[in-house]
Amino acid sequence: MSKFVVLFLFAHVLFISGFSQDKYVLSGSILDENNEVLPGASVQLSTGKGTVANAEGKYMISNIVPGIYEIKVSYIGYKTLIDTVRINGNKIYNIKLLYSPLDLQEVVITDNYAETRKKEESLNIEIANKEYLQQNLGGSLMKTIERLPGVSTIDIGSGQSKPVIRGLGFNRIVVVENGIKHEGQQWGADHGLEIDQFAVDKLEVIKGPSSLIHGSDALGGVINVKQNSIPIHNSVGGTIDLIGKTNNDLIGTSFSVYGRKNWLFVDVRATLLDYGDYKIPTDSIDIYSYKAALHNNQLRNTAGEEKNLHFTIGIIQPEFQSKFFISNVFGKSGFFANAHGLEPRNVDTDVHDKSSRDILFPFQEVNHFKIVNQSQWKKGKFKLELDLGFQRNFRQEWSKYVSHGYMPPVFPDNLSFNADLERRFDKYIYTGNLLTRYSFNEKTTFTVGINAGYQDNDINGRGFIIPAFKQLNTGVFLLAKYEFDDINMLQLGVRYDYSKIKTERYFDWFQSPVVNNNDTTYEYLQRAGQLEKSFNNISWSVGYNYNREKVSFKANIGKSFRMPIAKELAANGVNYHNFSYEAGDPDLSPEISYQFDLGLEYHIKKFAIGATPFVNYFTNYIYLNPSSDYDRLYGNGNQVFYYTQSEVFRYGGELHAHYQLLKSIKLGVIGEYVYSEQVSGEKKGFTLPFSPPASAIFNVKYQKQQLKFLENVYLSIDYRITTSQTNIVPPEEITDGYQVINLSMGGSIRIKKQSLSISAQVQNLLNTKYFSHTSYYRLINVPETGRNFVLNISIPFSGKIK
Amino acid sequence: MKIFKIIIFSFMLLIFLSSCEKDKEIDQEKPTIDLSIQGAFPVNCDTIYFGEISTLKVLFTDNVELGSFSIDIHHNFDHHSHSTEVTECNLDPVKEPVNPYVFIQDYDIPEGLTEYETNLEINILSTENSVLLDEGDYHFFISLTDKEGWSTQKGLSIKMLHR
Repeated sequence: MSKFVVLFLFAHVLFISGFSQDKYVLSGSILDENNEVLPGASVQLSTGKGTVANAEGKYMISNIVPGIYEIKVSYIGYKTLIDTVRINGNKIYNIKLLYSPLDLQEVVITDNYAETRKKEESLNIEIANKEYLQQNLGGSLMKTIERLPGVSTIDIGSGQSKPVIRGLGFNRIVVVENGIKHEGQQWGADHGLEIDQFAVDKLEVIKGPSSLIHGSDALGGVINVKQNSIPIHNSVGGTIDLIGKTNNDLIGTSFSVYGRKNWLFVDVRATLLDYGDYKIPTDSIDIYSYKAALHNNQLRNTAGEEKNLHFTIGIIQPEFQSKFFISNVFGKSGFFANAHGLEPRNVDTDVHDKSSRDILFPFQEVNHFKIVNQSQWKKGKFKLELDLGFQRNFRQEWSKYVSHGYMPPVFPDNLSFNADLERRFDKYIYTGNLLTRYSFNEKTTFTVGINAGYQDNDINGRGFIIPAFKQLNTGVFLLAKYEFDDINMLQLGVRYDYSKIKTERYFDWFQSPVVNNNDTTYEYLQRAGQLEKSFNNISWSVGYNYNREKVSFKANIGKSFRMPIAKELAANGVNYHNFSYEAGDPDLSPEISYQFDLGLEYHIKKFAIGATPFVNYFTNYIYLNPSSDYDRLYGNGNQVFYYTQSEVFRYGGELHAHYQLLKSIKLGVIGEYVYSEQVSGEKKGFTLPFSPPASAIFNVKYQKQQLKFLENVYLSIDYRITTSQTNIVPPEEITDGYQVINLSMGGSIRIKKQSLSISAQVQNLLNTKYFSHTSYYRLINVPETGRNFVLNISIPFSGKIK
Repeated sequence: MKIFKIIIFSFMLLIFLSSCEKDKEIDQEKPTIDLSIQGAFPVNCDTIYFGEISTLKVLFTDNVELGSFSIDIHHNFDHHSHSTEVTECNLDPVKEPVNPYVFIQDYDIPEGLTEYETNLEINILSTENSVLLDEGDYHFFISLTDKEGWSTQKGLSIKMLHR
């Protein structure tokens, strides 16, 4: 381990000493005809160097060798400017872009946002823009970004997925939407993420310990989802997206309209999706020894629907910006009817196979409502950002009443909940973040932030797994950034957190036979008491960036943490789907993780290669440990799973490379690998649950600006190889490796002033039967989705307000 | 080109790390419930009679050490459960439960065994609170763990009748 560190420090010294030549800076501001600043406008030099204008419309490119260069400046809705500049000293070059009413909203943006962000962030990040999301459209946002190095998913059917970064998921990563942490029921393997992928403009995956800014849970990383496109001055417009998929017969649309008059803008979007049962390349499923026959290769009762609404309104002023994001995301989807979790169920095939689009028992319904306000105020060297959020996550899981354990054979009619309501989680979340940034001088910037969050969780239904609870989280952090020069940058940060959780009492709604010596009495069992716990923690992070034209290097070491959640502290119920009785431990301490990350990148004109290795150590990973015990009374005869803590050691990384073979053909490879091992505790030597196997994607991409009447044409072939996963924990099974081919193609057509873009995909081209180790249905041997044709047609429209 | 060497070297180091990590043998095998032994009881579609003592006879095996087991008997009058077995049994028509039989119990297996044949007597009464228990389709569920926490389940469809 220590050799590893020394090696990279040594490598770094080599870089610094290797270069020296006279280099100059090109800077200036980018404005429109009305002298309005154009933040986000892209500036690119013919060397390949480039940047994006900051919020004041200013840009700066440093380290330029003397010479004559072509400069290209572009911004959505404006005519691209191309000029030549001579650099023989530091130069100021101010740019004025002309409004172009003919240009449409959906023109391809070749900004350098990704590049700039990567240079500033000392952790490794992946960025996906709207174009990427469209070309890789999957069943859910997380499925769409699964191709990114280091990202994987836990899937529940064809429309629900949970994010996983380098093998960590659930409450060990944070999803942020428009600055506010997204809160649902992240702990459940069968709970997807409630975000509308059509409303996403940009998405960033930060890999590595991010507690410093994001607080508890950000151990594995952050998925930062942004709706940040601001319409250009005095314009109206929108997009109609039409989506179709053959595998689950999905039809859908997402429709948006926006408008901006001077400093005020609005944006409205509606998304509707409806899909049937998905098809898999097999005609029966082996649930233990029993073979459940499938109808038309369809996984019975996995149909679903999604209905989402968004409303955004914002004020844009030179020094002040404020945006309100209001959204409601609703999803309903069925679970495979022949087995609920691991439990085999009898199915009336006449009823179930009548239609592939109906949603019968068991199914889940989730509604997520959100109001977020993001405001920022800037004055000289000082910047203030305030994010406020309110969310309500309302989840209901429905299944036919079955008298499990000691529940009465006939459901009594005097209870407050429906017999078929298995679980209900109702969560109210209030979040606030305040951030101030002060640039002390050219080189030093300080950021101070305060985060606070409060949540109120209620439960209902016949099944008990976690109690109702209230939770408070607060944190304060200080981050200092020091730029030695244009090449070297150091970031240091420290954070303090305090949190408090209070669970509510819960008694069973039915009586159980309690045996004392030879006496049997019938009692309502108490499942949860009034538990009150508070936690605090100090976390920190040190990061270093080194950016040269051809070479970049970053290193980061950080301590991050996670407060135990209600389920881990106070679970005391039976999860019949897993035949498990899950018992919490009120004495758990906050989970602590130390991680060391490196990022190395080398790129020349036609070729690039990069590696992002990491090493990670948990002092006390909270783990749901399957024991050899059974429990009659509280566990109703099910196996006892205890929440325990153990030390965990993990390492892994990603590798990516690409080579521009011809002007229009690019070859690429992406690889990812994670190894985890519990190094203490009862499961010493075992890995962690849901460990993704190693995988690699080999890609060939053809891309052309203009091909006859088509623009921005692309054809991409992905050949994905995934190894077997032999590192397992109970109750997992070894999963074989597999190879899958995916195709994606598209382009845009322009008819007069109207453009239309098409992206199509063929997923699992050869209809290969394979198993995903991290699928919710893996344990009952359900293979992954068969061949799937995906079509997405996007029709933008726009105009100008006089 | 230094960077190349570094990238390649770092990955070699990773591969090296991954190859030397796995030195401890861990148990990755589930225990098994064997219902094919001579005189095994109950097997799928068997009948159990109220008011009699039934003897559970199955063979448990594990590669390292057995843990414990549990038995759960529940009515299946609504046909909600399916057995884990290949054979299909004839179910009676769906009916409403009145006073169905419920049995849940967990049992230890003596320590240090890799093989254990049960000879467990279950005394099944014919009444509960002096009311006759319901006849019909039941689900007989056997669950077994080994010491590491691996588990195996067998869910059998049985009939329970009054003699």
